[in-house]
Amino acid sequence: MTKAIHFLPDEETHEATRLLPYVMAVMVYLSALALMGSMMLNKGFGDMTESLSNRLTIQITTADAEARNAQVDEVTALLRKTPGIDYVRKLNEVEIEKLLEPWLGKGNVTDDLPVPAILDVTVSRGLTLNLDAVRGMLAQVSDNIHLDDHQQWLGRFLRLMDMVEYTALGILLLVVLATVCIVIFGTKAGMAENREIIAVMHHLGAQDSMIARAYQSRFMKYGLKGGIIGLVLAFITLVSLIYLSRDLAEGLVRIPELPVVEIAVLLVIPFLAALISMLTARITVLRGLGRMV
Amino acid sequence: MIHFENVGMRYGMGSEVLKDISFNLKPGSLHFLTGPSGAGKTSLLKLMYLAHRPSRGKITMFREDMAGAARKDLPKFRRKIGVVFQDFRLLDHLTAVENVALPLWIAGGKGAVIEEHVEELLTWVGLKGRMKARPPTLSGGEKQRVAIARAVIKRPDLLLADEPTGNVDPAIAKRIMHLFVELNKLGTTTVIATHDMGLVEEVKADRLHLSDGILQLIKAGQSLPETTSFDPAEFETTSLDQNEYGPLGYDGEDDQ
Repeated sequence: MTKAIHFLPDEETHEATRLLPYVMAVMVYLSALALMGSMMLNKGFGDMTESLSNRLTIQITTADAEARNAQVDEVTALLRKTPGIDYVRKLNEVEIEKLLEPWLGKGNVTDDLPVPAILDVTVSRGLTLNLDAVRGMLAQVSDNIHLDDHQQWLGRFLRLMDMVEYTALGILLLVVLATVCIVIFGTKAGMAENREIIAVMHHLGAQDSMIARAYQSRFMKYGLKGGIIGLVLAFITLVSLIYLSRDLAEGLVRIPELPVVEIAVLLVIPFLAALISMLTARITVLRGLGRMV
Repeated sequence: MIHFENVGMRYGMGSEVLKDISFNLKPGSLHFLTGPSGAGKTSLLKLMYLAHRPSRGKITMFREDMAGAARKDLPKFRRKIGVVFQDFRLLDHLTAVENVALPLWIAGGKGAVIEEHVEELLTWVGLKGRMKARPPTLSGGEKQRVAIARAVIKRPDLLLADEPTGNVDPAIAKRIMHLFVELNKLGTTTVIATHDMGLVEEVKADRLHLSDGILQLIKAGQSLPETTSFDPAEFETTSLDQNEYGPLGYDGEDDQ
């Protein structure tokens, strides 16, 4: 005789709860995708804002090419003398063409197209540059010189980042809530199915906690099984999406890298699913039994 | 052992199925519970095995008030009670051995000790070759013997049996009664609900007779009185002094 008697029938014979691990897998799949997506976008946005946080772009839109080149030299000299500016570089034609390529197509930047000169400026980290003073200095050279510190664009980006994160968090909460509801439903169905067995166990002197242990252990297994299946499927989906989108979006959008360390944290999801499932089942069983004689 | 005082019981909002039940069963006594079908025998047993609360009155068992006992305290009292259900209530997915072992396992018994006791008892009730069989493959009589073995394996303080010999042949019925009487001699208070008047006559124990939810005591060897009046002072029961049965194979001892 085995040490413990499994007084609940084998789960394979349980119509009510047999499919539960697969429902759990779907729930974990959705929550893992939401989290992974959020992490990837966060990392991608973070990289972008990081790369722009100490950069300025200066556009010189003077139509006459000679005057424009003279202004480029003058502005470059002025900026190089300005404290807090590390590096000033004029983008060459190839670089500008590449920037315009997603919008105009390859080879469509012709000589008669008025393309501004662009200066890429790197500001020292840790120093706050007086941008108004720089703007004033540039205005003295020409009214056709425009300074872009990317703040407007970065602000929008940060708001988008927040929205994506809150959306992912919302999805996660909804999925957890749905999972809890499914486990409650499954536990109640399982208890209804085994009503007679529970009654016999009570008559024989079993404590509620003994009956609850049998259910919580069963539902913990469901959670773990569903969690592993869901997470594996989510990884496969994510890797496939990244692979496909790299081909499709090349040049237009930079696909964020997979943040390996952060994504590795998601390995705890199956254990969390098991824990949520186990605790929900335990509470449901104890509450249900508490209503019996 | 069991003291009922003006106990009434109803299911939901229905009428009372037991009315003003009062009796006192001394420790180590043996009683039959008789009465026509629908008289309330099973309901009375349900109150005694703590599956139902009375709608009124006072029940004292094991020197504790059961009517008002906290739910969390009931398991420890239930472990002192062995019940043979009319419909057996065996767990179909467990083997005969596992079914009988359940009360010992619930009480925290160890595997090897449990196995030894269970196999000994199942052998004694004639199920040596059916130990690994599951209830769906057992006959009615075999199921009944498994149910009885499960009820007595822990040598309970109180044994309640609802028609325990209803599905077995006379020889097995007599053997089962041997077991009940022997357990009773060892100190187990026993109440057996039965329609089998031959059995009642043979064992010569007092009878609790239920009719229309009202209880009467009939002393051993007496017939049903014409009056239904009830005097609680006379409603005291005693242990069986003698019985005609010899010692049984099962010694009733366990390590719990």
